[in-house]
Amino acid sequence: MTERTGEPLLESAFLRQLDRLALVLRRPMAGDIQGERRSPRRGSSVEFADFRPYARGDDIRQIDWNLYARAERFYLKLFVAEEELNVHLLVDTSASMDWGTPNKLHYARQLAAAYGYIALANLDRVSVTAFGAGPGELQLPGVRGKRGAVPLFTFLQRLQPGKQGDLARACHRYIQSARTAGPLLLCSDLLDPGWKDALSALASRPFEITVMHILAPQELEPDLEGDLKLVDVESGAPVEISANLDLMRRYKTHLAAWRGEIESFCNGRGIIYVPVDTSVPVEEFVLGRMRRRGVLR
Amino acid sequence: MSLITPLALLAAAIVGPAIVAMYLLKLRREERTVSSTFLWQRMVRDVEANAPWQKLRRNLLLLLQLLLMLLLVFALARPYLAAQGISGRNLIIIIDHSASMGATDEPPTRLHAARERAYQLIDQLPDGGRATVIAAGGRMEVPAAATSDRRELRRAVERIQLSNGGGSDLSQALTLAAALAAREEDSEVAIISDGNVTLPTNLRVPARVSYFPVGRATENMAVSAIALQPGTTGQTLFVQVTNYGQASATRRLDLYLDGAIFNAYNLTIEAEREQSLIIDLPPQVEVVEARLDGADAMPADDRAFAVSPATEATTVRLVTAGNRFLETGLSLLPRLNVVTVPAEATTFTETVAQVPVTILDGVTPAELPPGNLLFINPLRSTAYFSVTGTIEFPQVRPASGDDPVLRNVSLSEVSVLKAARITPGNWGRVVVNSDGGPLLVVGEREGRRVAVLSFDLHESDLPLQIAFPLLLSNLMNFLAPGSGAEAAQLTPGQPLSRQVDTAITEVRVTRPDGRTVSSRGSEVQIQAGQAIYADTDALGIYTIEELAGDTVVGRHRYAVNLFAPGESRIATQRDLNIPQASGASSTVSRERDSRQEFWRLVALIALIVLLVEWLVYQRNGLAYLRERWRQRAGDRQSPLRS
Repeated sequence: MTERTGEPLLESAFLRQLDRLALVLRRPMAGDIQGERRSPRRGSSVEFADFRPYARGDDIRQIDWNLYARAERFYLKLFVAEEELNVHLLVDTSASMDWGTPNKLHYARQLAAAYGYIALANLDRVSVTAFGAGPGELQLPGVRGKRGAVPLFTFLQRLQPGKQGDLARACHRYIQSARTAGPLLLCSDLLDPGWKDALSALASRPFEITVMHILAPQELEPDLEGDLKLVDVESGAPVEISANLDLMRRYKTHLAAWRGEIESFCNGRGIIYVPVDTSVPVEEFVLGRMRRRGVLR
Repeated sequence: MSLITPLALLAAAIVGPAIVAMYLLKLRREERTVSSTFLWQRMVRDVEANAPWQKLRRNLLLLLQLLLMLLLVFALARPYLAAQGISGRNLIIIIDHSASMGATDEPPTRLHAARERAYQLIDQLPDGGRATVIAAGGRMEVPAAATSDRRELRRAVERIQLSNGGGSDLSQALTLAAALAAREEDSEVAIISDGNVTLPTNLRVPARVSYFPVGRATENMAVSAIALQPGTTGQTLFVQVTNYGQASATRRLDLYLDGAIFNAYNLTIEAEREQSLIIDLPPQVEVVEARLDGADAMPADDRAFAVSPATEATTVRLVTAGNRFLETGLSLLPRLNVVTVPAEATTFTETVAQVPVTILDGVTPAELPPGNLLFINPLRSTAYFSVTGTIEFPQVRPASGDDPVLRNVSLSEVSVLKAARITPGNWGRVVVNSDGGPLLVVGEREGRRVAVLSFDLHESDLPLQIAFPLLLSNLMNFLAPGSGAEAAQLTPGQPLSRQVDTAITEVRVTRPDGRTVSSRGSEVQIQAGQAIYADTDALGIYTIEELAGDTVVGRHRYAVNLFAPGESRIATQRDLNIPQASGASSTVSRERDSRQEFWRLVALIALIVLLVEWLVYQRNGLAYLRERWRQRAGDRQSPLRS
């Protein structure tokens, strides 16, 4: 059910709407090469940033001679550097994501594609990492510009659900390997005992993290009845329940409490938490909810 | 409590473990794959921590199933309680429905108590057993014969109504029961009665007979006789009150004349004694009711009615060559208007209504007059009898003692010189016989009452004896009914019959309960000049109205009273002596005779448990429905609040 060949990941009409959107950055982010985004570094744009006393070895071409005439000292005139952004897309492809109707993994792909496309449209660099399938991660090293949309979509299309994922470990490894920080979009259901670990690991570097907490309607309102043995699709660990109305009610309170816990955890670390219900069409979600949430503009 | 088939309990030992085993197998729950058990695990841990009885609740279904199984097995073992009752498979229930069963000492009546007892017996009937219900005393009825359908039996018992008339003779019922019992093995006869019954003397019932006495009270007072006779200036009422109880009692007797209270008398009567009152009443009084004030166990006999005898005199045509005895005798009888016709008369033009009775003394016209006839010394054969000669010095022999025509008449001293030898048709019954042929024949044919006295009064010493006026009075009561005070009194169940003219087109009878029946319906019949109404079981006044076209031409009242000492003696007999197959003659039923099975009850409980089990199984659905309902109620309320 994961491979939907023939069907484009995102509709072209939707892509045209996405063209008008841009990522929201709360602070300048450093990039690798010159681009169109303000960088915390000083560089060679036309926008003035600051003055700095001349030090030996500085490029004398940057000395502000007008200022020297007034102050009889050498000052360098600094400009804001404009660099490209490194947008990180993390997609959880563990088996638990390949579940629910509409499928959570597919939804995650669509979200990642939309987010990545917006970044590409703004000439940013997008790298995708899918974890959960096997011991290592699948990576798309980085594409740039609108031309990069094709490899991005293809990569996402080809993502296969894995068996068992360890969210925390994957995040740790990603933090260690990522070169430059930037906006980071984590698409996961966080159904992992180590979700706290994972999020704090990501927050340990100055990424601008947005967590897409993707849950299927079957998880939000499970339709269970009778004495059941629930089997985890990843670990195979069983849980025996006698599902009745009371238990369902308790499940829902429990779920709400859990989401609340994640949200307050994220707020404490400057992470944007976006709960996602896969029953909401992805177009509506991206154009409406993500903009309202301040992820896009 | 014991079990009929205790081996059935073994089933529990087999089925019980099977159920448990099945349940354990069933405990392997249905598997359902979910994205993650992460949330569930956390939650279930919470739940199990705070609900130690969760386990029990999970086993509730098992416990219910085991209970259900145990109940069913118990029912299969057929538990029973030893009870007083019957044990036979072919049960014959005789229920006494005579008037004494209307006593109210077993509220509401003894008959109800008897019915309840009969229901119990029917319930005790073993499976496959059959029962016959016989209602005895009064008219015998068999409302249910040899059926095993309990419902039909109960219906049959329910239908049994009190029968005021006919006394309490169980002979016929017991004879029938004996015949039924003889046909089948393992029969049992149950008699439900108060024991005041007549039993056959020479009957041996080939089965066990159990007697279930009904009733407690012994004390009863009754109005035992009432008569209203015309006196010289007004009317004379005779009332007799009898104390049938075993202790002296005082009651007040109220007299009502035409519905209005007239007088009251306090009577104190010793046990088994009676007291009579003779009271002069105004002549215009038509209906007298004597009522014992207060209540006793038997209200039916506390009231009695008397009606004033018909005020019009009955015309009697006497065709004679001259008979002083007869003329004197007839003139002494009240309300008789005797018209003497010479013996030569041959045609009679008056109708029945004008002259209902004709006495043919020593003449036999070729064409007989209409109406009732009394032949005295007939000379030649008629359509009713043939005369074949004469008998010299016949020996007078009354046929039986209780013929109403011979009431109070003693013929033992009577000698007859010569009588006609007559051979009556089969319409008549011989009241006085002799060695040569009947001397007095009475009977009814085609609505006509006919009496034949076969000797000339002058050739006998009968007119000189006290028996003559009495016999004449009885004969006239028979031939001209409705003329004497006696005729207006009937016993319950005795058909009410009255001669009616051809001009009468309709006869209406108003019953004591106010209901009116008419000859236009089927209840009153007019046949051969007689109106007959048979349903006179209810006590009280019956009014007959004769209508010619739309006008009422005659109104007559009849009183139906329960004057039955046998019924008024209500003390319950504790035992009945009926010879039985076993040789015993006591019919007291013994404890532990019967098995009252109650597996039906157990099965019913099992059914309820089954229902509960199903409800428990479906409790989620029920909770869901409740939730929905609550939501709806909330929805309905919220607009009001806003």
